[in-house]
Amino acid sequence: MSALLRHLRIWLASIRYSLVRAMMFRGDFIMWALVELFWMSVNVLLVGIIYDHTESIAGWSKYEMLLLVGTTLLVQRLLMAFFWSNLFELGRNVRSGTFDFFLAQPGWPLFMVSTRKFDLDGLVNVPVALAIVVYSAHRLNLDPSAAQIVVYAALVVCGLVLHYATLLAIISLVFWLQSAKGIEGGYFGLTEFSRLPREALRGVAQVVFVFALPVVVVSNVPARLLIHGFEPGMLAWMVGATVFWLAVAIAVFNAGLRRYSSASS
Amino acid sequence: MSALAKYRQVFLTGIQTSLVYRWNFAIRATFSLLHLVYIFILWGAAYAGQTEIGGFPLAATLTYFVVLLILQFFLSAANDDYEISEEIRNGLINQFLTKPINYFAYRLSLYFSARIVTGVLSLLPFLCILPFIGPKLALPAGDHLALYAVAVPALLMSAFIQFTIAYCFGMLTFWFLEIQSFIILSLAVEAVLGGQIFPLDLMPPWLYQLSSWLPYYYQMYFPTALLTGRITDLSVALQGLAIQAAWAVALFLLARFLWTRGLRRHTAVGG
Repeated sequence: MSALLRHLRIWLASIRYSLVRAMMFRGDFIMWALVELFWMSVNVLLVGIIYDHTESIAGWSKYEMLLLVGTTLLVQRLLMAFFWSNLFELGRNVRSGTFDFFLAQPGWPLFMVSTRKFDLDGLVNVPVALAIVVYSAHRLNLDPSAAQIVVYAALVVCGLVLHYATLLAIISLVFWLQSAKGIEGGYFGLTEFSRLPREALRGVAQVVFVFALPVVVVSNVPARLLIHGFEPGMLAWMVGATVFWLAVAIAVFNAGLRRYSSASS
Repeated sequence: MSALAKYRQVFLTGIQTSLVYRWNFAIRATFSLLHLVYIFILWGAAYAGQTEIGGFPLAATLTYFVVLLILQFFLSAANDDYEISEEIRNGLINQFLTKPINYFAYRLSLYFSARIVTGVLSLLPFLCILPFIGPKLALPAGDHLALYAVAVPALLMSAFIQFTIAYCFGMLTFWFLEIQSFIILSLAVEAVLGGQIFPLDLMPPWLYQLSSWLPYYYQMYFPTALLTGRITDLSVALQGLAIQAAWAVALFLLARFLWTRGLRRHTAVGG
């Protein structure tokens, strides 16, 4: 328990340091926040353009689709705030040997690698993503109960863990490759599927992206909770997938760690 | 050594350097197939119950995205801006200031070498899936030869514009310590106005007209539209080619201006 508290204190100290740093480079912080806002707008724009030409996608109306996209953006902003920079740099650090620095720190290596930085620019766009969800729910005349909202929040956290696990497993491939260049593209490639309604996937795609990989369930389950109410099977599926994929990602990271032999001269 | 021979050597060295990372390029290309699967599913679902969107059948839209994705590997200046920025920040450009080497031509040679390697490697996974996706694709019907002929210079100028924009962003390092956010913002603008997210002709007509005057339109959408039959009027194609040429010249002049002004701010340190 004391080890857990000690790590939490380290995380809080890292967040405090990152906030001070963000305020030192305010121009940079504003620029990054704008970049993320623009990318979010691109996703919303795509929905707008497609629904200018069609009534529904796999039975999902425009605002149901927007709610799904908003949920995906919400989870991704949280990932950007807490974990993206850390895992992205893991790829570069393993190659350069800077990874040694994390191994020498007084904490669990995965924890130290994952929590060193906190990006405020990701967090400031969380309200924008939430606004998309709330606006879509309003246009759909949804009136979720307090319990629905609490469970939705819990599912968003599960989604964050699932995205973290996916990214960690992919970036950890750097322990076997010469460079991390381009491998983060695998994460973006996979997470695109979270913007699709589950019903749009059929055949092999359904087996791979709905049942085998957690990329569709991650956004569909929270969005469906708001649209269709509680579906116990779906909730169990999401929680089970979260636990399973986090275990897989940690195993891949640990296997890579055993292979790591430093790179500095 | 003649001027051409110098840059030929740079090009050949660039090929060797790029080949070191062949597995990464191959993995990136394989991951891009995921994007293609996403595109097929999304647009397949959008077309359900209707034969055309924006005047084009599903096969034409899917072909547009496949060609665009392949061209991205051959044309996109994926890492050049970062590398130029690093070379300025670390003082590596100092060596070019004392040698008879033109930095723009040096970087352009490296750009072409890297694009050939990534382009060819990206074709491998596409060839593997061609038997599966081939029946879902359709090239323009009828006599399209004149438009294919226009596409050749359009592709070359597209490559030049891609590189020059990246070069200009790299030059910003003379003024700003960190340019990554500028690059990502530019990528986002390029993704939308270059037609990577959706074919630009699906936008409202006034927005489409506006986009056709911007350089992003000529980075990717214009050559792709020529190759896939989204532009069928030869006069429109030739007008596009003229605007593209104007942008290529304007961006080249901007690149020269930024280099000259940037060097005035640059301080070479070290022995």
